[in-house]
Amino acid sequence: MIGHIKLATSCCIYFIACCTAAHAQQQVIGAPPEASNMKLVGANDLQARSAYQPTIHHQGDRWIAYIGHHGGTDDIPAAPNPLTEKAEPNGTSIVDVTDPAHPKYLRHIPGQEGKYEAGGAQMVRICDGKALPKGDPNAVYMLRTFGGEAHEIWNVADPANPVLITRIGGLKDTHKSWWECDTGIAFLVSGAPDWRTRRMTQVYDLGDPTHPLKIRDFGLPGQEPGATGAVPTELHGPISTGPEGNRVYFGYGTNKGGFLQIVDRDKLINGPREPTPDNLRLPEISRMPMSAFNGAHTTFPMRGMPIAEFAHDKDGKTRDIVMIVDEAILNECSEPRQMVWFADVTVENRPMMISSFTVPEASGSFCQRGGRFGSHSSNESMAPVFYKKMAFIAFFNAGVRALDIRDPYHPREVGYFIPSITAATDKRCVPVEGQDRCKVAIQTNNVETDERGYIYIVDRANTGLHILELTGPARAVAGLP
Amino acid sequence: MRSLPVIVVAALAIGAWSGVAAFEHGRPHVEAWREIAWPFPRDGWPAGRAFRCSGELCGDEVELYVRPKIGFCNCDSGVADDDEVDRVADLDLMSQRFTPLEPGRVVRIAEMPGRLRSYELRMSDGSQHTAVGIAVSRRCDLLVAVAQGKTSAPEVQRIALEFLATDAVTKWMVSSLDGR
Repeated sequence: MIGHIKLATSCCIYFIACCTAAHAQQQVIGAPPEASNMKLVGANDLQARSAYQPTIHHQGDRWIAYIGHHGGTDDIPAAPNPLTEKAEPNGTSIVDVTDPAHPKYLRHIPGQEGKYEAGGAQMVRICDGKALPKGDPNAVYMLRTFGGEAHEIWNVADPANPVLITRIGGLKDTHKSWWECDTGIAFLVSGAPDWRTRRMTQVYDLGDPTHPLKIRDFGLPGQEPGATGAVPTELHGPISTGPEGNRVYFGYGTNKGGFLQIVDRDKLINGPREPTPDNLRLPEISRMPMSAFNGAHTTFPMRGMPIAEFAHDKDGKTRDIVMIVDEAILNECSEPRQMVWFADVTVENRPMMISSFTVPEASGSFCQRGGRFGSHSSNESMAPVFYKKMAFIAFFNAGVRALDIRDPYHPREVGYFIPSITAATDKRCVPVEGQDRCKVAIQTNNVETDERGYIYIVDRANTGLHILELTGPARAVAGLP
Repeated sequence: MRSLPVIVVAALAIGAWSGVAAFEHGRPHVEAWREIAWPFPRDGWPAGRAFRCSGELCGDEVELYVRPKIGFCNCDSGVADDDEVDRVADLDLMSQRFTPLEPGRVVRIAEMPGRLRSYELRMSDGSQHTAVGIAVSRRCDLLVAVAQGKTSAPEVQRIALEFLATDAVTKWMVSSLDGR
């Protein structure tokens, strides 16, 4: 009898422990955010649209956030816009963040119809007309994708009343483009209809946004029209250092078989344009392959970083570093961990991975929380406030992570922020025994910073925009008062 | 006149024999297949299942490799074109050098839509094989199969499709996409 009582008691304790543990992993509406050395300044729900790239622009005496969106969901293909009282396919949100504690939603520009990555307008970059070689000095130009089928340029000088200027269409996919504001050269991630890959590069001169000039198509040998055999991994996105650095860092692969490609910008722009295998090879300086387990979503260059540990070395005191961020694409850890890597590219033809960072899974039972866990992207602002000192990584259900990267050989987390979920936060499902099992969790997808030191994170699961600032020791890393 | 019944019987016999032969030819002949170890080194995707069909029924020998690629498909458009079959159908596991023999065609396997395309493979030893790449999708997930042999492309296609249509293989393909 006593044995039975002991057994029953043990079962009860086990059951309660299991339920408590499971409960602790799940986010619930109304619970406070989880944070360390970061705090919430302000928020906006972005009309409950799934968000991709935020770009923050200092525009006159205002600060404006432009935020790209994925397409709608099965449940809500076109979310209602309270400003127009119409349902609109997800596109671009324009938010005045001059007062970050009270962001003001100005305008939603609808995107391409279509769900998830098949619609919306994910990518956005901004250049002032006065910075571009042939821009209207009174204009502010927004380059955005229009679903998969086009790139568009809008004049957003009055951000509440944008005007469409140009459309580059006829494409089968688009993604994470880069636009040099001082030269107007744009590296557009496109799917040209006759190329064998979903995503490659179309180099354009957008110095005069009203008259886009195509320079060339670029990709990897084997992706060009008419090629046969194996097709190399598709492009995710490039980042250029402009004519001064004369390099473009391309990230290929998203979550698999990725690599970093270092390209001579001048040879890319001015070299022979016909997409033959030789011409495609010509601008390439080197490639650094990654594991088949990982891909390159963001390749963020930080050239000439002084490394304190090497300060007394006669050579190699400064290093050229590229931070490579993989993208997790599957829910609940159904793939190899996607994380952050630092490559030393000082010797360009022998780039080498030197360190990595991931969030410890056990610190939040992130594989059980629901949705994706792993990295997606980093901030891309090169403003002095954080550049070469701190990096911010969107880590899906682990929120945003603040890294001290002053020694890129030993990156160190100094803060994090995981927003609370809301009624708008969408579920994420995995198949279990042929049925969908769904959970609701924050899905911090992208992050950007501004020159003032604010950090902007946006959510893939429709929770909106959160504006953050550093606190405590993390502020000291950036040298903020 | 007395020969008429003989002729009728002979005709019936020949017809029946032809029917049996045709039936035999069209049957999957599961017994000719056996599972073998996944022959490729680890890559970005977990290993799948590999099978070998030996003997006359398979034009000497055909091997087939099949595996799911979870989260590797455009959720809305599925397997949209032949280029996508070139990219995803695991032909590069066998050889980096393959050339399509013809435009692909729409195919449906285990109730999943997709495309099929035939190729000439140039192997590392210089020999030439025929291959058939197949990619079908369900929501955002892909299921890919590639079969290769030395027989003609239509034969490799027929042999591969028959095997993929068998109950056991169909059930495994569906369950592999269901997280089982």
